[in-house]
Amino acid sequence: MTTVEAAKFHLAWFKSFTPHDWRSTWSGSEERDWMTGDSHVDFLRALERARFDFLMLEDSLMVSDTYGGTAEASLAQGGYAPKGDPALLASMLLSETKRIGVIATMSSTFVPPWLLARTSATIDHLSGGRFGWNCVTSSENRAAQNFGMDALPPHDERYERAAEYVEVVKQLWDSWEPDAFVMDQESGTYVDHTKVNPIHFEGRWHRSRGPLNLMRPPQGHPVICQAGGSPAGKAFAAGNADVLLSLPKGLPDMKRYRDDIRELAEKAGRDPDDIKVLFIISPILADTDDEARELQAMMNSDVEAKIKAQMVNWSATMEIDFSRFDLDRPLPDDAVTNGHQSTLATFRKFANGRTLREAFTAYRTEAIEVVGSPATAADTLQEAMEFVGGDGFLVMGPTNRRYVHEITDGLVPELQRRGLVRTEYAGTHLRDHLREF
Amino acid sequence: MSAKMFHLGWFLGNGFGVQAWNSEWAGTGATDWMMPDQYIDLARSIERGGFDFLMMEDSVQIPNAYQGSSEYYLRTASAAPKQDPAVLAGILSQFTEKLGIVATLTTTFYHPFTVARLMSTLDHVSKGRIGWNIVTGSSTYAAKNFGFDMPEHDLRYEMADEFVELACKLWDSWEPDAVLADVEKGVYADHTKVHTLDFEGKFYSSRGPLNTTPSPQGRPVFLQAGGSDQGKDLAAKYVEAIIANPPGVEKMKAYREDIRRRAVEHGRDPDTIKVMYLVSPVFGETDDEAEEKLARRERAKNSNIEGLLAGRSHLASIDLSQFPLDEPLPDDLISNGHRSSFANFKGDGTQTLRERILAHSATDAVHLCGTPATVAAQMDEIMQEVGGDGFLIVGTPMHRRYVAEVTDGLSPALRRRGLIRSNFSHQLLRDNLLAF
Amino acid sequence: MTGPDMFHLGWFGSFIPTTWQSGWDGTDAGRWMDGTFYVDKVRTLERACFDFILFEDSSMVSDVYGGSSEATLKRGGWAPKGDPVALAPILARATEHIGISVTMSTSFYPPWMLARSVATLDHMSRGRIGWNIVTSSEDLAARNFGMDALPPHDERYARADEYVDLVTRLWDSWDADALVMDRERGVYVDHTKVRPIDFVGKYYKSRGPLNTLRPPQGRPVLTQAGGSPAGRQFASRYADMVMALPKGVPAMKEYRDDIRMRVAAEGRDPDQTKVMYVVSPILGETHQHALDRKAAKDEAVRQHPEGQLIGWSGSMEIDFSTFDLDKPLPDDVATNGHQSTLANFRKWAGDRTLREACVAYRTESMELIGTPDEVAAQMGEAMEEVGGDGFLIWNQPHNRRYIGEIADGLVPALQNRGLMRTGYTHEHFRDNLLEF
Repeated sequence: MTTVEAAKFHLAWFKSFTPHDWRSTWSGSEERDWMTGDSHVDFLRALERARFDFLMLEDSLMVSDTYGGTAEASLAQGGYAPKGDPALLASMLLSETKRIGVIATMSSTFVPPWLLARTSATIDHLSGGRFGWNCVTSSENRAAQNFGMDALPPHDERYERAAEYVEVVKQLWDSWEPDAFVMDQESGTYVDHTKVNPIHFEGRWHRSRGPLNLMRPPQGHPVICQAGGSPAGKAFAAGNADVLLSLPKGLPDMKRYRDDIRELAEKAGRDPDDIKVLFIISPILADTDDEARELQAMMNSDVEAKIKAQMVNWSATMEIDFSRFDLDRPLPDDAVTNGHQSTLATFRKFANGRTLREAFTAYRTEAIEVVGSPATAADTLQEAMEFVGGDGFLVMGPTNRRYVHEITDGLVPELQRRGLVRTEYAGTHLRDHLREF
Repeated sequence: MSAKMFHLGWFLGNGFGVQAWNSEWAGTGATDWMMPDQYIDLARSIERGGFDFLMMEDSVQIPNAYQGSSEYYLRTASAAPKQDPAVLAGILSQFTEKLGIVATLTTTFYHPFTVARLMSTLDHVSKGRIGWNIVTGSSTYAAKNFGFDMPEHDLRYEMADEFVELACKLWDSWEPDAVLADVEKGVYADHTKVHTLDFEGKFYSSRGPLNTTPSPQGRPVFLQAGGSDQGKDLAAKYVEAIIANPPGVEKMKAYREDIRRRAVEHGRDPDTIKVMYLVSPVFGETDDEAEEKLARRERAKNSNIEGLLAGRSHLASIDLSQFPLDEPLPDDLISNGHRSSFANFKGDGTQTLRERILAHSATDAVHLCGTPATVAAQMDEIMQEVGGDGFLIVGTPMHRRYVAEVTDGLSPALRRRGLIRSNFSHQLLRDNLLAF
Repeated sequence: MTGPDMFHLGWFGSFIPTTWQSGWDGTDAGRWMDGTFYVDKVRTLERACFDFILFEDSSMVSDVYGGSSEATLKRGGWAPKGDPVALAPILARATEHIGISVTMSTSFYPPWMLARSVATLDHMSRGRIGWNIVTSSEDLAARNFGMDALPPHDERYARADEYVDLVTRLWDSWDADALVMDRERGVYVDHTKVRPIDFVGKYYKSRGPLNTLRPPQGRPVLTQAGGSPAGRQFASRYADMVMALPKGVPAMKEYRDDIRMRVAAEGRDPDQTKVMYVVSPILGETHQHALDRKAAKDEAVRQHPEGQLIGWSGSMEIDFSTFDLDKPLPDDVATNGHQSTLANFRKWAGDRTLREACVAYRTESMELIGTPDEVAAQMGEAMEEVGGDGFLIWNQPHNRRYIGEIADGLVPALQNRGLMRTGYTHEHFRDNLLEF
């Protein structure tokens, strides 16, 4: 085999503003202190040192009481709620770093577009162009009820609304031309008003006069991130997103998904290289492969607890009460959701007629299993990217400091030595990082 | 029943030098060690983790002991290169709020005035959180960098005694109420309360006074690592924390009792001197995994006889490569460097150099290995036996994952047993150290 | 009570460009959006022991004056303007004691979202956040949010009343002891202490509960500015601090007495609502120097009154460019915006021409001119007359030099007279605000 320079891929991290992992051996004082954001600062600095593209902060807007008809399981577990406002955390985190990006989730269903345009423009300015918006349509009626609605709009309508929403937000960002800011002492002109114009947006669902009351963000448009697996979601993402979090499991599905997105992007008139597809992984790392496998076995040993945790989470996001299903039968055919449709579809496909117990035992959120020493894990990732074609991975793991350092100081140096990930940032904006390779 | 609350310190065993750099989990250690980032993370982590202080070792030479060459040391980045810890202390003070910061400064290579002024400045900028680890230096090569031959061991301690005496006089050269800062009257300091010393000692002289104002602690907290009689005496006379490394619980207990007895002889309350034992706990998700890790590490270490010999040669300033591995070391071989630790290493002459070097751990007083809960229980037990006063965690291997194991794994486990502080009750390092 | 009572200082401003044509503006006007200027500013104010900094806000580019945004944007004062809510976490991170109050409009934020953002900020700042409640007053802003116009003035207050009630219930939907962190049983939060609120009001609906922990202050500090009867009534029901602009000491006293009476009528302790008056002291090296600075400032306004006119146009939504500068404001002008502002304006302006009104107009309750010590004396006397509770400094001009004059000139003078705090007593914003 001839040596060719390996194609580089992207690394990012997926996290919530929650007391994640509060019960683990290595959780420190996180259970008590998470809301101050201190641990997130340490965490983001570590990711920046490892030259990650970005940290993505997901969000949800409710306390779920679907599982068993009470909030008990969800609050006891403490992974879904309590949860802080990620945009505020993002702003603080970016002020503590210089190059890495942060993407915060904000819901197109609940946040007035003008407010979202302005908040994200502000954070993009404060960070020198390193902010991104993870555009979600929200998927829970419980959240809608917090905002005074009885229920969410239907799934596909939410995407139609979202498409219009993104349009109005982009127009607000564009309402200031890039050279509107002149600060000319001679003529006493701070801003040239001829380059700041109302947008008079009148859509089916959204209206806004504009202009924004803030200069165009450094990136023009802050990075837009999306996680869509349904046809409506994919079409929306292909038209708007800079980066896509994706759920397919296994190399063939990953490849198919990425090829599909790229094709859709091309059809939407975009350069497919402008949209990066990242796959979720949760590497289990140790000094040796044996130890990593032992660790994996240990993590999976409490099957009942694992199944319950998964069911509590899905009950929250899909608003289906999993507690009422018989674990020793397959998922009933009539279980449907207005929420995460593609997640449920993927699960059905994965279960393939198996009982819920069997399916949940085997189920993983990650696209591929990554277990071993840093060298072995690097092999796995390298092979996956060679097969799929790109564009990188989104790490979703137990975010205690020890685990973070296993990734940033163990796995990443190994990937860097192989030339698979960057060793320095080339650009200054988050979008520069995404388009660097 | 649990032990009384005890203190934790972090011993940065390789000073402001190259930490883990070519081992697993070393991150960017190879290229970034000279930047403050890793130490800032460390200091913030241990502050959060209930440590009293961070202590930075120092040495001022590129070692040359083993095979009369710097090859081994530079090839493996052992004990060199290394930067000035006082600079790092100043930086760390600005990134922490309550943590004590202890820098090592060698009496033999400084003038007392320099140390007094530097420490006073650091104590001011840290708002009273500075400690001085008093060492007399041990390396022939270090002395040569300063243009002289290393004074003999006992003489160094005699010099150190006078050094500390003079430094204290300099710190006291301003009366506590000398600074008025009276804006109305336009008087900053009352010159009648700032005194010259005209100190003329056997080794040092200084006119004084110091040209900075009294710092929050008056003088830094003193620390010292003394195993020799002279060292122990110096410690019992001056220091507030002593770094100790006796092997095994019995000897730990005996050592502490000895120090406390000497403190009483010097007219001090023995509770004002804390004996802190060096340990390097090894952690795992399970006890078995930790034991495997320790065994693996021991195997790696023991298969690297060269490394062990080079390290020991450096500490003792003796080229151990010249002695046959399978014979005991000569009876009359003594170190002018770390005297007591070398004597301890050499043993009673019944074992060969190979046996000694394999048997002797450079740092560990006791075996601490397992999950954080297990190690916390082990520490609890040891402290119940020994009586006090705490542990100095040696960060080996010194990388961020290990730091997280200690501060986010061990610290909460110790806290759940009520063994370490959950916050700082005072602003000054001395007050925190003597709080229990 | 003997001696002068201490009063509070706050700073009132916006997240906007600094002044940029004064000759003392550094480079901040070109990079104010990177936040550095504001971080330095809030640190300076914390050093000067201000209780808090308050950010007003608005959501539009005004094009009322001359029917175009030209005048507004050309000068850069009303717009551009950054989102103060996004700036607040950065300022909180950079400080330890000072309170941070941000404006969020009840007309534009979904209540649940506001409750959560403010709760998050209160946690991130460890209990130092305030919400400055506004109902918004500009139809132009409403159109940015897809409405044709704002509800009428008094209805906005009725809505705001329900809004605050709802938001408070959301904060209360988590009991203070809901967080149990029981590792053994695997219970992070006790669900019996987290309840839906099922709020159905005339204007708002929300099921609840909030999805985050109860804020450290329970209810973050609520601040408000309202001169109209509806505004005052609203303030008396909820506000911890009322920002006020009555002109002259007798009016200031009358205003405060009125607020206190209303607060008492609501069944609250009147000492729980602080009334603070907006001022922009003009400081000089000597008294004459201060007078000269004021004269120069007045003359500049006389030559270029547009700045003031744009401000009025924006806040009252009246195009002042259509009026003759050298005649008084015509009688037939009305507004749906700040009714009390317009009424006060007329009352105050009397038969002044618009130009002279611009010169005479001050966004302040009383004129403060002189050396720092003279101004401190004036402030002390005013507070003795009025009864309390403090001042809000409005930055004029908005640059580092002016902030420095206040923080390092005026504040020490106030402290010397025992009129102002020299340190922070409490951890939370409200506790400091209600300390005296």
